[in-house]
Amino acid sequence: MPTLTIDGRTLSVADGTTVLRAALEAGISIPHLCWHPAFVPEGSCRLCLVEVEGLPKLELACSTIVREGMIVKTATPAVRESRRRVLEFLLAEHPVDCPICDKAGECKLQDYYADYGLTEGVFAEAKERRAKKVVLGERLILDRERCVLCTRCVRFLKDVTGTRELGVFERGVHSEVGILEGKPVATAYAGNLVDLCPVGAITDTAFRHKTRTWFLSARPSVCPLCARGCSIWIDYHPGFPRRPASAGVYRIRPRTDEAVNGPWICDRGRYGYLDLHRRRLPAIFWNRGGQRVEMSREKILTLLGEKVGSLATRHQGKGLGLVLNSNLTVEEFGVVRQTLLPRIPQARVWFADPPHGEDDGFLLRSERTVNRRGASGLGFDLAPLSLEDVARGLTILVVLSPFFGQAAPAAGVEKALASVETKALVSPVETGFEGLFDFVIPSALPSEKGGTFVDFQSRSRTLSPVFPPWGDAWAEGDFLSALAAEISRTS
Amino acid sequence: MAEAKTFSRALGREGGWSIEAYLQAGGYRAARKALGEMTPAAVLDEVKKASLRGRGGAGFPAGLKWGFVPAKTDKPKYLCVNADEGEPGTFKDRYILGHDPHLLIEGALIASFAVGIHRAFVYIRGEYENIARRLEAAVAEAVERKFLGPDVFGSGFALDLQVHRGAGSYICGEETALLESLEGKRGHPRLKPPFPASVGLFGAPTVINNVETLANIPGIILHGAAWFTDQGLPTDGGTRLFGVSGAVARPGVYELPVGTPLRDIIFTHAGGMLPGRQLKAVIPGGLSAPVLRADEIDLPMCCDALVRAGSMLGSGAVIVIDDRTPILDVLLRVARFYAHESCGQCTPCRLGTNWIRKVVERMASGGGRPGDIDELARLASGIKGRTLCPMGDAAALPVLGLVQKFRSELEGATCRP
Amino acid sequence: MKDVFSADLRRRLEALAAKYPAKSAALLPALHLVQAEAGFIGPAEEEAVAGLLGVTPLEVREVVTFYTMFRRTPAGRYHLQVCRNVTCSLLGADQILDYLRKKLGLAVGETSADGRFTLTTVECLGECEQAPCLMVNFDHYGNLTENRVDEILRELA
Repeated sequence: MPTLTIDGRTLSVADGTTVLRAALEAGISIPHLCWHPAFVPEGSCRLCLVEVEGLPKLELACSTIVREGMIVKTATPAVRESRRRVLEFLLAEHPVDCPICDKAGECKLQDYYADYGLTEGVFAEAKERRAKKVVLGERLILDRERCVLCTRCVRFLKDVTGTRELGVFERGVHSEVGILEGKPVATAYAGNLVDLCPVGAITDTAFRHKTRTWFLSARPSVCPLCARGCSIWIDYHPGFPRRPASAGVYRIRPRTDEAVNGPWICDRGRYGYLDLHRRRLPAIFWNRGGQRVEMSREKILTLLGEKVGSLATRHQGKGLGLVLNSNLTVEEFGVVRQTLLPRIPQARVWFADPPHGEDDGFLLRSERTVNRRGASGLGFDLAPLSLEDVARGLTILVVLSPFFGQAAPAAGVEKALASVETKALVSPVETGFEGLFDFVIPSALPSEKGGTFVDFQSRSRTLSPVFPPWGDAWAEGDFLSALAAEISRTS
Repeated sequence: MAEAKTFSRALGREGGWSIEAYLQAGGYRAARKALGEMTPAAVLDEVKKASLRGRGGAGFPAGLKWGFVPAKTDKPKYLCVNADEGEPGTFKDRYILGHDPHLLIEGALIASFAVGIHRAFVYIRGEYENIARRLEAAVAEAVERKFLGPDVFGSGFALDLQVHRGAGSYICGEETALLESLEGKRGHPRLKPPFPASVGLFGAPTVINNVETLANIPGIILHGAAWFTDQGLPTDGGTRLFGVSGAVARPGVYELPVGTPLRDIIFTHAGGMLPGRQLKAVIPGGLSAPVLRADEIDLPMCCDALVRAGSMLGSGAVIVIDDRTPILDVLLRVARFYAHESCGQCTPCRLGTNWIRKVVERMASGGGRPGDIDELARLASGIKGRTLCPMGDAAALPVLGLVQKFRSELEGATCRP
Repeated sequence: MKDVFSADLRRRLEALAAKYPAKSAALLPALHLVQAEAGFIGPAEEEAVAGLLGVTPLEVREVVTFYTMFRRTPAGRYHLQVCRNVTCSLLGADQILDYLRKKLGLAVGETSADGRFTLTTVECLGECEQAPCLMVNFDHYGNLTENRVDEILRELA
């Protein structure tokens, strides 16, 4: 455990720690472009050069291992000069694209220029002209003028995904990142390249030119699309005062979590969760003879509560089917268990979860919901809903699941539901089966209600609401409590 | 051409480069002595005492370098012979490889014995294709006589030597870029530490030596370290093949003792200036060695003296520049060369060499502006000391030297009223 | 499917690869052999070499585009490479290059319409004592004068 002094601060670090990591532990930031915690040091950007007492030249912080008694200085005139000079070289051939570049506001080059540069532009020659819209993959565009050849993208595809779609071609100043024709970046983790790129060289078509980063506020959350529950940032725009349509989720990014997902997320989560926001159910409605009649919460509670209450009083809930899904929160399962079910003890409880998928051997788990362990922790056996069960003597079916019907052919669903007297669907997004239900209630996404999940590692993951419920969305937990209260009132 | 000395005896040798001729002239005696009568440690010791400095450019003591390889390792060890010879002005290794390939083979054999290496590669620049074929033929001759292979001289020592071609890249003369290239990759220099002696070719302990360095080994073993240092200097022993080119009457390879005055090399051995031309400048050790003015050539050609004079002995390639050659033209070739050869990995070299090239090309085509000279000096000092490999300094120091010593000529040439 | 390589070339490549501790190390010498037969290294050659040496075609292209001796398009039958470094320049390389340009009617980098000559400039060839010099394919010529250039071109005809 060597001890070093860095900018006057003394600390002990683990054997083999580099100066840069030691600096991070001490809360000192050293500029870098090519270094990334997930890769071995590359040493090519040359921004992290620092003074090490006793050594004649400046040394790379990213790759120099701490030795006992090392004295490091990161803010001397020589170090400052070095950073200015390296930045100057980078900026000489870098296009001044900031006004049109997505990365503005979160660009390392911009930040470092502001922190360590601020020199007058002195490059008075003709800049290299390079291709500015090279398609690297389905959602990836490369601007070679902006590229600083940090090679993080190349190394990610070599060391993390092993898919190796990117390489560095040519030599010297003509060096360029690229793919072979017909072999684009196809990994299910391609979106991470956009986060990795320290500048705006690799951009995401899903985000390109949609907004400015400084309008976004990064809210912490958990991805609910598989049992890993990757920690994420949801970049949310609260909307301009006179343009409410500008409000919404613009981007999902990984939130580094060493125990869960490291610094990455898969594209399924990154783009899939973004998508869900756009298939929201508009309002509570009652399907009355083929006509959609909008209703208020009070009205629907009355209607539904009356029917459920009568079953509760007379038959203790026999004939009632409750379909849950394992993206409900622990708190919501608690409401079902402790508040609702005691009033309808004979009710049947099933789960409508998405079908299992493939475990990709990296982050994506085969369970495509995040809280199955939370449900089983509260005593639910997660029995999957079968259409036979539905067709057999159910009077009322209340479905709280956006995944309803995914496991069965549509014709079978219609037939089975036809035999149920009263049907209610509670879902945050369209399922495609809205027309078959009497009552349709839009509910909230996890990021709108907060709560706890228990992930595949049996860790409790708590999230706070990130943005207000969309439209009339009614958090399931609130709906279930209200329903339980209505049942009590009517019986 | 050159006078016949230790190497240059091969130039006039009857039978040329063949193994028969080499044996007739006393070849492979040193290797037999080493493998038959000495221990590896004794060989290493002799080379250390001989103060043999690397002849590729860095001048690092060869014995010291060999000593860095761990004695005990469960990895194979490798020898890489650096025959990339890309430093402009340098052509001496071509002579050894072409005229005396067995001298190199013998040197490599002794070096491998000393360090416990059983696998050697000669990394030869792709442009030397015809020389490579001759070297391969010489290797085949040696294998046939069992001077290479699984049981050298029946001693039980094994050495496999293989010729490997480069493909046009100056940076592959840098030892870690050479290793990358030999592994079949782009010639990107590696971060040091670790050093090749511990982590080298395929991650195994590796010695990289220049052709001429190894060609000196047989003489040291046969005649002893003292004989070697006597020929040169106590801390920089032996002779060197000085390759003289440029505006001289007799360009060529001259084998002369380390410490020979530069003035003598140019004016005695190489025959002085071409008719009608005066000396203006000398690049004393290959293009990466900072230039010396005509009044700075009274120094001994050894590593330390050149360093003291603000330059370097480098590859011992002496480029003689005359008064009819504009210094701006020299600067232009320098700028273009390093920009062309930059591997592109690290920021200062990739972008700095190209920036310098753009400024110098603008100056050379009549677009020079006041302040350009200062700008060049500023850019070169921006690169110096900040790059991943020594090529950064190699690109920067010549520019700084030319700008510093020929400022008024450069200013006159670039700034038009 | 027709093999990109002749049977003889494939044999030579396999023998070459077997000489190295790892096959992938044979890539540069292998590419020289391929270029000697095919004249250049195109996508088909990249794939074929990659398959043989256990590397990816992308890695082959990374190498082909790094080293100046490898060509992605064929050169003429005689690739004239004129050195433009310091010693050759101060002894008249520019004039030799100009002479060749005019004589062959080619700009630097161009190949003649009849496919005979390609003219390029290169950095130091390691023949500085015979400056100015040029390399035709792998053969070196030095002490060039306009007359000597004429002689060489006649020899190559």
